[in-house]
Amino acid sequence: MAKKKIFTRRNFLITGGVLGTGVVIGVAGLNSHVNKKLKKYSGKGMGEGDSINAWIRIAPDNTVTMAIARAEMGQGVYTALPMLIAEELEIPMSSIRVVHPQPESPYANTFLLTQKEPNIFKGYSMMEKVYAYLPIIGTGGSTTIPDGFNNMRYAGATAREMLKQAAADQWGTNRNKVKAEAGFMINTANNERLSYGELASAARNIELKELPALKKRNEWKLIGTKADRLDIPEKVFGQAEFGIDVRKEGMLFAAMRHPSVIGGKITGISNQAEVEQLKGVKKVVLTDFGAAVIADNTWRARNASLMLDVEEDDAGNGNINSEAIQASLEKILDEPPLATPEAEGDVEAALSGTDKVIEHTYKVPYLAHATMEPLNCTALINDDSAEVWIGHQASSVCKDVVAAATGLDKENVTINVPYLGGGFGRRGEPDYLKKAVAVAQQMKGVPVQTVFTREEDMRNDMYRPAALSRFRAAVSEDGEILAWDNKLALQSVSHSSMARIMPSMATAPEDDEATAEGAIHLPYVMKNRRTAFGDYASPIQVGFWRSVGSSQNAFFTESFMDECAHAAGKDPYEFRLSKLNDAPRFKAVLEKVAQLGNWGANDGKYRGIALHKSFGSIVGEVCTISQVGEKQFSIDEFACVIDCGIYVNPDTIEAQMESGIIFGLSAALYGEITWEDGGVVQQNFPQYDMVRMNVAPNIKVHIMEVDEYPGGVGEPGTPPAAPALANALFAATGERVRELPLMKAGYTFA
Amino acid sequence: MNLNINGKDIGVDVEPNMPLLWVLRDELNMTGTKFGCGVSACGACTVLVDGEAMRSCTMPVSMAEGKQITTIEGVSTSSGPSAVQQAWIVHQVPQCGYCQSGMILAAESLLNENSEPTDADIDEKITNICRCGTYVRARAAIHAAAKMRREANELLGSL
Repeated sequence: MAKKKIFTRRNFLITGGVLGTGVVIGVAGLNSHVNKKLKKYSGKGMGEGDSINAWIRIAPDNTVTMAIARAEMGQGVYTALPMLIAEELEIPMSSIRVVHPQPESPYANTFLLTQKEPNIFKGYSMMEKVYAYLPIIGTGGSTTIPDGFNNMRYAGATAREMLKQAAADQWGTNRNKVKAEAGFMINTANNERLSYGELASAARNIELKELPALKKRNEWKLIGTKADRLDIPEKVFGQAEFGIDVRKEGMLFAAMRHPSVIGGKITGISNQAEVEQLKGVKKVVLTDFGAAVIADNTWRARNASLMLDVEEDDAGNGNINSEAIQASLEKILDEPPLATPEAEGDVEAALSGTDKVIEHTYKVPYLAHATMEPLNCTALINDDSAEVWIGHQASSVCKDVVAAATGLDKENVTINVPYLGGGFGRRGEPDYLKKAVAVAQQMKGVPVQTVFTREEDMRNDMYRPAALSRFRAAVSEDGEILAWDNKLALQSVSHSSMARIMPSMATAPEDDEATAEGAIHLPYVMKNRRTAFGDYASPIQVGFWRSVGSSQNAFFTESFMDECAHAAGKDPYEFRLSKLNDAPRFKAVLEKVAQLGNWGANDGKYRGIALHKSFGSIVGEVCTISQVGEKQFSIDEFACVIDCGIYVNPDTIEAQMESGIIFGLSAALYGEITWEDGGVVQQNFPQYDMVRMNVAPNIKVHIMEVDEYPGGVGEPGTPPAAPALANALFAATGERVRELPLMKAGYTFA
Repeated sequence: MNLNINGKDIGVDVEPNMPLLWVLRDELNMTGTKFGCGVSACGACTVLVDGEAMRSCTMPVSMAEGKQITTIEGVSTSSGPSAVQQAWIVHQVPQCGYCQSGMILAAESLLNENSEPTDADIDEKITNICRCGTYVRARAAIHAAAKMRREANELLGSL
């Protein structure tokens, strides 16, 4: 006999128990496929009213609190996920209040690791159960919508049906005689109305015998519309609380002083007593990560930290420098590869069969994330509990880190996640949490906010790795790519980063899919192709940087595609188009962006085009530039077309494309982290500049209408920006720039 | 030391060389003004001093004494959000939002000096860094706010 599926909250009442706070633990809509432990949530911080499930609590005044366990770092998840819930729940966006819940199993992001659409309500696969049990709660890889697209709608739909049944019970009628509308249940027989707030307490005990059907696409009222972001008013009024804005009674502020050499250690402080006499200074502490000054004010702490006379051990890394790194990367290109993630046909035979081999090497530097909000974390460590306030992309990692560092049980650790002043991958790293906890452990019972200065932030990042890409290609007279051979040399991001974030899942460099991501599975028809890479091992810490492997690989591949087009005497757009007959979604994006960007216009301007798929979405960009002087250009416009499948909030997607392009341009124009004597040379924005208003182009965005499962939108706008601009520069000057940033080749932009 | 912040007189007991930013954030818990770089490079800490945009991270608090300081907390008035704030919401400008207090105050200052700024004027005066790249929308919002302010002034003039 088939197991009867019962979607209810009450059976969790029985199995799950009740927490001390009186908040019921349990998750609606989970059936027997899912382990009991995966249903637990505390409801902590969810405000007044009754929890219908892990995501939804409704107060008597009809305010709906939604628990969104994804980091809001500008990409609009505090609006997009509530839209999915609200669509099914049938409530106005204006009634929603968003909170960030504790890192608990119902909120796991399994897509982050499986890259497959999960369905928590039908039951998890074995690996999904593992990831939920741990749990893995993170915001990255542009996965928020791919992970939540179905689940959040089911969260709303099950809650709606429970409320509907509660209303039907009250009216002595059938559920199908009740209609949900804008936060009210309506008795269709007599137009009697009950608010959700009036029904919530009864609804939480309703058992549903079936998983409700989701609304059809043509019934959507919210999904696909430009909804105003829920977080914008408080950001405009200066009321949004970022990690650095956390203020607690009696709190103190700490400034870190990191070792000056990467991987080094501060072994002693010779003037501790003297510095402790400075105004406002409470304590000077030495931790495994560096020295810190705890004071009553961030500025006093920072000034005092600069006065510390420290003894350092450079761990043998004091000779790391950019020239040596470059030489190592070049050597790796000449050695046999570590891995060859893509090989089709016989590249060597095809290359030796022609006398016209196009061969060029591309180069990009290390990059810092430079989030606007410098890294910081507030920690309160007591003997029997710990609480931290941290803008972080992986709250579950935070909980593990604090528990491990303090020796406390996880249930005695509370993680609060305020707004993030930018993330871009940097705030998935645990380092700044570990440092803040180490400092606060030496000031028990007092909340201590540890803040990196911009200089400490920039010089202690987990960088996008420097990389080389050596291409060899053969193109026939009529423009066929006979051979495409690409060899990459760089540090493995996943190997470095996962060892810090989730050591149990650390990847060997040869298995790192991020290294060649965006360099393989190119959509173009090529007769023979091969992409291989070698690994550069270094104490330098590298990490996930908005669009990761695609951030450099799109520049390499889409610039070199242009070189192939010009070698064949073809128009770069036509050349690409001719190779996309088997890739209709790519072809449609390319055609649309050429049109949107006025490709081929005879207006005295120069254009470059690039096409790239990353994180499940295809983006095409046309960059239009004007020459204003010798090697001086104005970036007039970017036309951008994205196919991300079904889209949730088109205004957010447009904003993410604008954001991704500017982010890519900052790196393309100015971004370079260099190494000298084992440390980073760049200190602050004057040495690591950003695109500003005067350089920022006008940006036009078009979203394709495609009825496919959603892809990500936070990162895919970035990769095509650099090659589109470099290709436009070639169109203008005939000079092929094969190294970023462009300022190194003497280009300036205004 | 006595400061006038958002129309209120507030006494603080700090070193005269403490940057205004840290007086606001850590002494007065007015956290709307942000720390970004500490070297006047990014503009996240922008406040108005006698109506003019200043970078508070390098401005000693003693230099602000006796002047009218406006922070993001004081941009709205009893009659509601400023034209710039309204335009910022209509154009859905912020993303992460961290730089936006400074960006909004830089825009307020620009419009105090220039009621109808051109794109070139905006380029020259708005030099704040936004890592999320909200420039396209901020520019549109500044034009919209300028128009709202001009229309409001015309209305006042005609009364």
